[in-house]
Amino acid sequence: MNKNFKLEREINSLSNFPNSKPYFPKLKSWLLPYAFLSPTLVVVTLFFFVPLVIVFILSFTNLDMTNFGILKWWQPANWTLDNYVKIFTNRFFPRILNNTLMYVSMTLIFFNVGMALVIALITTNINRRVGFTFRLIWLMCRLTPVVVYIMMWKALAGPAPMGVINKHILGPLGIGAGEYLLNTNPWLFIILVNGFIGASFGMIIFSSAIEAIPKDYMIASKVDGASTWQTIRYITIPMIRWPLLFVTTYQTLSLLTSFEQILLLTNGGPGLYETEVWSLTAYHRAFSSYFGNTQWGYGSAWAVILVIIGIVMAIVYLRVFKFNELIQEPKIDQL
Amino acid sequence: MKVSRSLLSISLIVILVMSFTAMALAQDLDIIPIKVRCRAKPPMENWRGNNFLLAENELNADLEAAGDLRRVKVEVIQDNLDWGEYITEFVLGYGAGESPDIWLTGHEYIGTQAEAGRIIALDGIIEEFPIYNLVFDTLWDCTKYKGETWGVPQDAEARPLYWNKTLLKKLGWSDGEIAALSGKIEKGEFTLYDMLETAKQAVDKGVVEPGNGFWTRPKNGPDFTPFYYAFGGETIDSATGKLVFDKTAGLKYYKFFYDAAQKYGSMGCLGLDWSSAWHPGVTSKVLFWVGGTWQWAEWAEKFLKDLGGEAYMWENFGFGLIPAAEKGGKPNSLTHPLAYLVSSQCKYPDLAVALIAKVTNYGPNTRHAIASTHLGILKGQTEYKFYKESRLLSEALYMLDYTTFLPNNPYWGTYSTITYEALAAVVSGDFTPEEAVDFVVEGLNRELGDKIIIK
Repeated sequence: MNKNFKLEREINSLSNFPNSKPYFPKLKSWLLPYAFLSPTLVVVTLFFFVPLVIVFILSFTNLDMTNFGILKWWQPANWTLDNYVKIFTNRFFPRILNNTLMYVSMTLIFFNVGMALVIALITTNINRRVGFTFRLIWLMCRLTPVVVYIMMWKALAGPAPMGVINKHILGPLGIGAGEYLLNTNPWLFIILVNGFIGASFGMIIFSSAIEAIPKDYMIASKVDGASTWQTIRYITIPMIRWPLLFVTTYQTLSLLTSFEQILLLTNGGPGLYETEVWSLTAYHRAFSSYFGNTQWGYGSAWAVILVIIGIVMAIVYLRVFKFNELIQEPKIDQL
Repeated sequence: MKVSRSLLSISLIVILVMSFTAMALAQDLDIIPIKVRCRAKPPMENWRGNNFLLAENELNADLEAAGDLRRVKVEVIQDNLDWGEYITEFVLGYGAGESPDIWLTGHEYIGTQAEAGRIIALDGIIEEFPIYNLVFDTLWDCTKYKGETWGVPQDAEARPLYWNKTLLKKLGWSDGEIAALSGKIEKGEFTLYDMLETAKQAVDKGVVEPGNGFWTRPKNGPDFTPFYYAFGGETIDSATGKLVFDKTAGLKYYKFFYDAAQKYGSMGCLGLDWSSAWHPGVTSKVLFWVGGTWQWAEWAEKFLKDLGGEAYMWENFGFGLIPAAEKGGKPNSLTHPLAYLVSSQCKYPDLAVALIAKVTNYGPNTRHAIASTHLGILKGQTEYKFYKESRLLSEALYMLDYTTFLPNNPYWGTYSTITYEALAAVVSGDFTPEEAVDFVVEGLNRELGDKIIIK
């Protein structure tokens, strides 16, 4: 198939030689793909690359509430490394880093990849309609507006007698003293709240990937006497390596930069920096402070490091999962 | 017939001329939109902005009487945004050329905004409105920066120490002892450590749960500064206008909060959510706590309405000044007046100041004071019939004699963030008091450089 295609192209190119196409149609055919790409290019440039460059420059300035509109932040004379020094000498830097690593890894392992895979495997191996319905129900977390969703969790975690968990589960079991569970177990709730949403993404990708595996493999494995676990381990998982890589990479980067649920749930508390993650620190420094001493330059520096961490992690993933091998054409097609 | 025709013609001409004149005059009226931005907790503080809606007609009547062809059209934007976001909104709005004409905010932001040129000094305009002479001089001092006046005080408050009378009774206090407590605090006979000792007894006897002996607000904010003042701290150098951190007073201040959390069963409050945990906590299970007079209305309206609102609170809660640090010392309180500032993008600052003058009067200000339990700002307001109706406002008024303020300095936000982080760290046990002082000194030096004086 592949060879035929190449041959066809070569024949076509020979038949067209010497090229007799007039200039304008040739230019048109050269420009057309770029014309189609241009809206995306414009949007990505305006709303991603330009802000990224601005944030990068801001990270070297001390732009804040006191000098906004006064400081010429674009002039190199006003650029220093002070913000980066401040970050790495910050007494709470290790705690914020540790929180970020814990938040990303726990949510990723237990929910965004782990739970997503389990749900996908189960729902694709049961009655199709039931599996579909279950996945639809699980999507409700993602479909609910985040503020409403967090308010629901706050109502669940509320102190006795109002809190649903305290009143209907822990109370009857005689566990705990009816405390506000977000204060006593903030991390548990942060991981659950994020995980329930995050798992739905992987669940959809994995389910469709599993459904796309040709049934012949499954039938062949059954004929060979493979157990369900062996089928999953030696057929399903290897066949969905690409979606696994994609979901893991995408969700890692997504978790690194997500903070809205934590902001609404604990806002980094209840203790000092107890649940403060990196992206939330960037937000707090740049946009939120009781006395309005927002520091856009300092917040940008936190954000820039986050971007660098994200890029490094993406490269690590691509290496670990052997991305180059995955994008090669399947060997079966090369025969 | 001819005469009547010519009369008719003349009449028609006169009517036409008059109509055109009226139309021309009407067209000359210049409608000036004035945008007022207020932060207000609904429904208690709605008069902050709503008073302007009532003032619009009054000012327009004045303008008409004076033959001024300008008329104002007031637009009020009012919500309960967090302070940080509220200020960011103003700064970014100003950057986009869309700042409100009148902006209500805490007086401590004046330094920042004045330095950046986003607000105008009102000297030279306010003198034309003698009503402003009624405002207390101490409140005007709050709106001064570098010798100029940058805002008009809107309200004031006290930040008392509250106590739960029912829990004190459970601890064995008699009614007489409870009633005498505010007096003892005023005389310096009941100190901050006496309060902690009482809190510890309450925890030990099971009257309150550990952590609930004494609470402050759950987040960074002005309420901590009076404690620093109580231990002899100062925040601003009057000669240079620079911020000051006093290490000796700071050590005592951090030791107090360290002791409160680690030894006296208190301070289980930091990081709590306001409405779901802090307010329900202080109104039911905490022995001593620091709050604001405005919260009295909030508790009555939002948290204790079912139990009887204010009547229940008079029955169960007491309040007094922040106790002195040592026996015989001076107790204090802190008032944090809000002020109306005028944006430098306002095209008609005289009209903005005229509108503010309309709401700076006994009627409008008392409406706000009663509804939100803020203290009045005008001389003689305590004699105003309707102001006297509020028991809390009358009973808390003496606190203004002991009041302290936050400094007007552009870098107060940075100062407050660093000193609060250290406080939260001693409360959580992450820092010792000595480490907290080191952290503050290092942080202030790093962030503020020569803008801070460390004593």
